[in-house]
Amino acid sequence: MDQIDFTNSGLNTPPNLDAIFSALADPTRRDILSRLSKGQASVNEIAAPFDISQPAVSKHLKVLERAGLVERDIDKQSRPARLKAEPMEAAINWLDEFRVFWEGSFDQLDDILNTMKQNEIKGKDDE
Amino acid sequence: MSDDAKYVLDREFDAPRDMVWRAWTDPKLLAKWYGPGVETIIHKFDLKPGGVWHNEMKWGENSMLSKAVFTEVSKPERLVWHHHSSTDSDWQTITNPKMPDWPKILLTTVTFEDAGTKTKMRLTWEPYEASAAEIACFAGAMANMGKGWESGFAIMEDMLTDMQVG
Repeated sequence: MDQIDFTNSGLNTPPNLDAIFSALADPTRRDILSRLSKGQASVNEIAAPFDISQPAVSKHLKVLERAGLVERDIDKQSRPARLKAEPMEAAINWLDEFRVFWEGSFDQLDDILNTMKQNEIKGKDDE
Repeated sequence: MSDDAKYVLDREFDAPRDMVWRAWTDPKLLAKWYGPGVETIIHKFDLKPGGVWHNEMKWGENSMLSKAVFTEVSKPERLVWHHHSSTDSDWQTITNPKMPDWPKILLTTVTFEDAGTKTKMRLTWEPYEASAAEIACFAGAMANMGKGWESGFAIMEDMLTDMQVG
């Protein structure tokens, strides 16, 4: 079967969760994302509150950009960076699946245990 | 392995430990609660070290197969298995179709602590025999869950809300 190649299909590129989670593994990059959640910012503005150089920030931004979490404005000289919602949402949904899976399962387990307890009481009454 | 690459979930059940153990290890009971809102079919369940649990979850037209290989069965306090999150129809381990770098095997440990009429359970997940890419992927996911669930995850939620409003 032919594999569909999404590499150059622009907007239709599905979020690459592998790249997203690798990017999110770094605490500085997570801080940068929090900063950008308050609005777009230039490299200078991002670097200001951190104890790291602008080239280091640029490097982190490149990783975030490659993961599709951030986009840069190419028209303006300061090239402000801003967050992209869709990949972030995909990452959240993926994580949420586990929470939903286990919590949903354990809610069902609660019900089963209740039934088991009632059956046990009933069983004793029958003796 | 660092704690960063670990998924930990605590939960208390309002039932004595023996009963909770039974609900986890009797396949008839397990199939009733494992997997929310899906039909769970347990094709094989051999509760002993080296024994396997072949699990199918069905919803609508979808079916998802996974496999567990038990490594420790210590009634009633500890259950350990290698969780193969995706398998083919021959129960052979495959990469996750949604996420190639997701660890193929997660070491799953469930402990049950006797708390009188209640039982404290802890479930942990950590990558097993994982590649560097799998560990990085899992660590990145966990950094935003587990310990960071309240902080990192909340930040992301805020972001999304703000972006949707803005």
